[in-house]
Amino acid sequence: MSENKIVELAKEQALVLDCGKSLKSIKTAYTTYGKLNAAKDNAILICHALTGDQYVASNHPITKKEGWWSYIVGPEKPIDTNKFFVVCPNVIGGCMGSTGPKEVNSETGKEYGTDFPVITIADMVRAQKLLIDYLGIEKIFCVTGGSMGGMLVLEWLSKFPEMVHSAIPIATATNHSAQNIALNELARQSIMADPNWNSGNYYNSDNKPLKGLSVARMAAHISYLSKDALHSKFGRNLQDKNSLDYSFDADFQIESYLRHQGFTFVDRFDANSYLYITRAMDYFDVSSSNNGSLIESFKNTNSKVLCISFTSDWLYPTSENKKIVKVFNTLGINVSFIEIETDGGHDSFLLEEPKLFEAMQGFIKSTYENL
Amino acid sequence: MSLINEKKDFKIITDLIPAKSSVIDVGCNDGSLLEFLKEEKNIDGRGMEIDQQKVQLCLSKGISVIEGDADLDLYDYPDNLFDYSILTYTLQATKSPKNVLSELVRISSKAIISFPNFGHWKIASSLLLKRKMPISEKLSYSWHETPNLHFCTINDFIDLCDEVGIRIEKQANLKTNKLNKFNGKNLLNSYFNEVGLFLVSKIKN
Repeated sequence: MSENKIVELAKEQALVLDCGKSLKSIKTAYTTYGKLNAAKDNAILICHALTGDQYVASNHPITKKEGWWSYIVGPEKPIDTNKFFVVCPNVIGGCMGSTGPKEVNSETGKEYGTDFPVITIADMVRAQKLLIDYLGIEKIFCVTGGSMGGMLVLEWLSKFPEMVHSAIPIATATNHSAQNIALNELARQSIMADPNWNSGNYYNSDNKPLKGLSVARMAAHISYLSKDALHSKFGRNLQDKNSLDYSFDADFQIESYLRHQGFTFVDRFDANSYLYITRAMDYFDVSSSNNGSLIESFKNTNSKVLCISFTSDWLYPTSENKKIVKVFNTLGINVSFIEIETDGGHDSFLLEEPKLFEAMQGFIKSTYENL
Repeated sequence: MSLINEKKDFKIITDLIPAKSSVIDVGCNDGSLLEFLKEEKNIDGRGMEIDQQKVQLCLSKGISVIEGDADLDLYDYPDNLFDYSILTYTLQATKSPKNVLSELVRISSKAIISFPNFGHWKIASSLLLKRKMPISEKLSYSWHETPNLHFCTINDFIDLCDEVGIRIEKQANLKTNKLNKFNGKNLLNSYFNEVGLFLVSKIKN
């Protein structure tokens, strides 16, 4: 189990962001597991998703639940902490200790709120690179992550190809589709429609935009599940009752479940962070710095890559993941691809999915043996 | 189930491929041919396989493999990406052998294709004498459960190559374990080879 660590980087030279502004003295909160070996060739960087954080394989300090990828990360697991040095940072813009809207701006002495600059996935990766440099790692053995984490993986492969030996982008895309953006906009609008949001100034108020954030989470949660999974889990079953109430209480189990998801989420997440991170995902297009050419974007990539998608994922469907495979094939990159059949939807990468376990273990083990 | 006498086939295929070639094995199974070629010829190999359990096996062996279907996923590769493509005992199970064949010679300079020869005398005589769909070592499924969709004879294959502008360069004789220069269609060839194994390439316009 790893203790949370916080390091302050870019103290002398500020990090210039895509928006043109710059950030100085960037705090990154992160966890590590295992030991970096003498050759420094056993580092694995894990990139978390939108609402993930650095607690990848240790209990969460707020929810007390076990790490979000404990199924994959640990002794004898695919990301074997007996063998590898695992690093998992909280992205900038996040709310678990890394520099973000809820942290205090040292120049003003007040929380950033919406004065925090709009960041991008590329900015998050630039900040992660500072951490990797600080840890003395020149070449990361493997960079992996699902969903937004997969976008960070793609950004690493494109912008710092010489630093990545292998990579596993999971359930992701090279850019956000109109549908992806629409869903995020729905979430942002529900936060901003909450009067307690108060243009992002709520940190010193007793009234926080919990309702807005909760609805945002409910909407997003639907997109993480498949129709079949929702049907088999809840159907039209009623919640603790035998007949309809003819009211707007939670009659159906699915309503009660979503409300619960929303309520519990607000305990561990910051509404402004949600705005900033969803914006970063919407802005993401790994080819944007190369006039939209994916081929140009990955022309220096020389890593071994495994792309993974899930059949029932309609948020980042197989077709989007196959686009990545096609580009990598065209460039002669050593790419593998597997589509895992499951009704678990987009969230499948977070579930106990034996085929995901097997594929990651096979790829990581054989790649490390052939290092 | 393996339809192939692996060692013999592997040896002949290996003889056809120069060292350090880039190779895609379409329908690569558990990746054993790619592994063999890596060992013998230090090739840069890629696989495509439709069966996920076999894809998992390839991953665990460190082989770069795409879970995919020869009928659908060859279109994703650019022209002449590989030096060699290999398709062993799969052509007859594809939906469109013609398109698959054209794609193989598009994405690679040369293609190695093998298939069970429906013109072999034993098979032909099963139909002729017993009026039963043939079952043999190389065609081991009953008619109602076979994954094979498009059987052909060696002569049919030669005709198809002509039709789609493919030159046959060499043919293997798996009995004598020899590679021969291809000298055109002849009946004996189609009678006595249980398997057709050919080295082909696209005729350049």
